[in-house]
Amino acid sequence: MTKWDKVLIVCLMAVSALLIFPILQGQPKASQAVVSVGSEEKMRLNLNQDGTYAVNGRLGPVNIEVQDGSVRVTQENSPHHYCSRQGWVNSTAVPIVCLPNETVIRIQGEPGAEDTVIQ
Amino acid sequence: MNTRRAVILAFLVAAGILLQILESFVPVVMLVPGYKIGLANIAGLFALYAYGPKDMMIVTVCRIFLAGLLTGSLFSVGFMLSVSGAILALLAMTLAKRSGLFSIYGVSVAGAAAHSVGQVLAVTAIYQQYFMQMFLPVLLALSIVSGLLIALVTERLLKRMKHTLARSQGRRL
Repeated sequence: MTKWDKVLIVCLMAVSALLIFPILQGQPKASQAVVSVGSEEKMRLNLNQDGTYAVNGRLGPVNIEVQDGSVRVTQENSPHHYCSRQGWVNSTAVPIVCLPNETVIRIQGEPGAEDTVIQ
Repeated sequence: MNTRRAVILAFLVAAGILLQILESFVPVVMLVPGYKIGLANIAGLFALYAYGPKDMMIVTVCRIFLAGLLTGSLFSVGFMLSVSGAILALLAMTLAKRSGLFSIYGVSVAGAAAHSVGQVLAVTAIYQQYFMQMFLPVLLALSIVSGLLIALVTERLLKRMKHTLARSQGRRL
């Protein structure tokens, strides 16, 4: 290991640490989850109302459950089931991604809240 | 081209394909989608240090295309992520090696980090989902670890293969 190796590693650590801060702070209160397949938005789920839903992913149906302001994938077709193993999600910064199904569930804050300019 | 060298490059491609396919059977971390140790890059890094950047590109590009063909994922989304990551990683590793500042560890870490960046860029471009960049800090931090691991293994391999390699290192391509 040369001196420059250590410099590179420390720089990379610093960059990843710095990048994580803007993500963790200032998350607005979640109220809606957007479900998209590919680049197309399929449905918007109200997180204040419990229920179960389904969308058609690339490999078959993806079942989604909403309870107590959180959302999870209950059943889907994919090799490793990353998205259903992920469990409940209630943060705007944590999407549920099922790449084999090209399905993404993203929680959004209060509608319009992020677009307001505060002066 | 030196025949011994052509044979060793072919072996490296084969070993890379094997590692890539074996690795796809083992989901390493549930935490971050898309994270892999990148064992297949041992073949590329080995070629870089045994011969040069050109040979690394040959080994890596052949490995990615053939592994894609063998697993049936050629030109799928996962394949595209692999390609875009690999292009950036090859560039970063070539530059890092040429600069002469880094040891094999620095070169490997630079490649691993560039691979993460390339993957995130490709996901962003393909799905137009900008929040994917939120995985970048985690992927970058993990790529330091995997880069060091790959470098360690490759360094040991190079040491053990020194005599075999010496006879194949004569003429350039």
